[in-house]
Amino acid sequence: MWIGISVGALLVIAFIALSVMAGGPKDAIYMVRYALPHMHRGNLKVGDAAPDARVFALSGTETFHIRERTGAKPLVIVFGSFT
Amino acid sequence: MYVREAHPTDEWQMKANVKDDVCYAQPRTLSDRLAIANDFTKRFKYPLPFGVDDMQNAANDAYAAWPERLYIIDENGKIAYRGGMGPFNYNPVEVRVWLASRYGQVKHPEAKPAPNEKEPEKKDARDKKS
Repeated sequence: MWIGISVGALLVIAFIALSVMAGGPKDAIYMVRYALPHMHRGNLKVGDAAPDARVFALSGTETFHIRERTGAKPLVIVFGSFT
Repeated sequence: MYVREAHPTDEWQMKANVKDDVCYAQPRTLSDRLAIANDFTKRFKYPLPFGVDDMQNAANDAYAAWPERLYIIDENGKIAYRGGMGPFNYNPVEVRVWLASRYGQVKHPEAKPAPNEKEPEKKDARDKKS
C-alpha cells in the first residue's frame, strides 16, 4: 500500500512541477500530449558530418539541399516555426 | 528553416499566440506550410535565406530540430555548434560567441521591434515622468 501511495505522490508532484513549467495544468497535459513526442535530443555531436536534407524555397516550386549551402563559409541554421 | 508548428490552434496553442495574432492550425499539406512560412517572412520582413522542411519532416528529423534549435555547420561540412533544445536551451548568444571567436566581435544595428510591438520607452521619457 505504501508503495502505491508513494508512486501516487510522486506522480502528483511531477504533474505540479510540469504545470509550473508549462504554465498551468491544461498546458501540462498539452505538453505531454503534443510536445514531448516531438522533442528529441538527437544524436548529432560537434565534429559529426552535418546531415543533408532537401528543403523547399518559399516559392514551393524550388528545392535545395542544406549541404549545397555549406562550404565557402560556416552556415548558421535557425530551426523554428511561427507559433 | 521552417519546421512543424510548435503551438498551432489544433494542438497546444498558447495565450501569447492569440495576443500576438499568430494563430495557425498544424499544416497538413506543403502548401499550408509554405503559406505560413511566407506569412512569417512578410510580417517580419525576414531578410535571410529561408528554407521550408518537407511534409516528411526530413530536416527536422535529421537535426532533432523541433521546436527550435540552432546549429553551425563549418566549411568542412561538420557540425561546429549544436544548440540545446528550445525553448529552454535555445541560446543565440552562444552562436554569436562562436561567430565572434571566428570573425571578431559581431557588429550590427539593434533589432527592430516586430510590427505590432511597442517601441521600448526611451530612458529620457521615463526620467521626465518621474
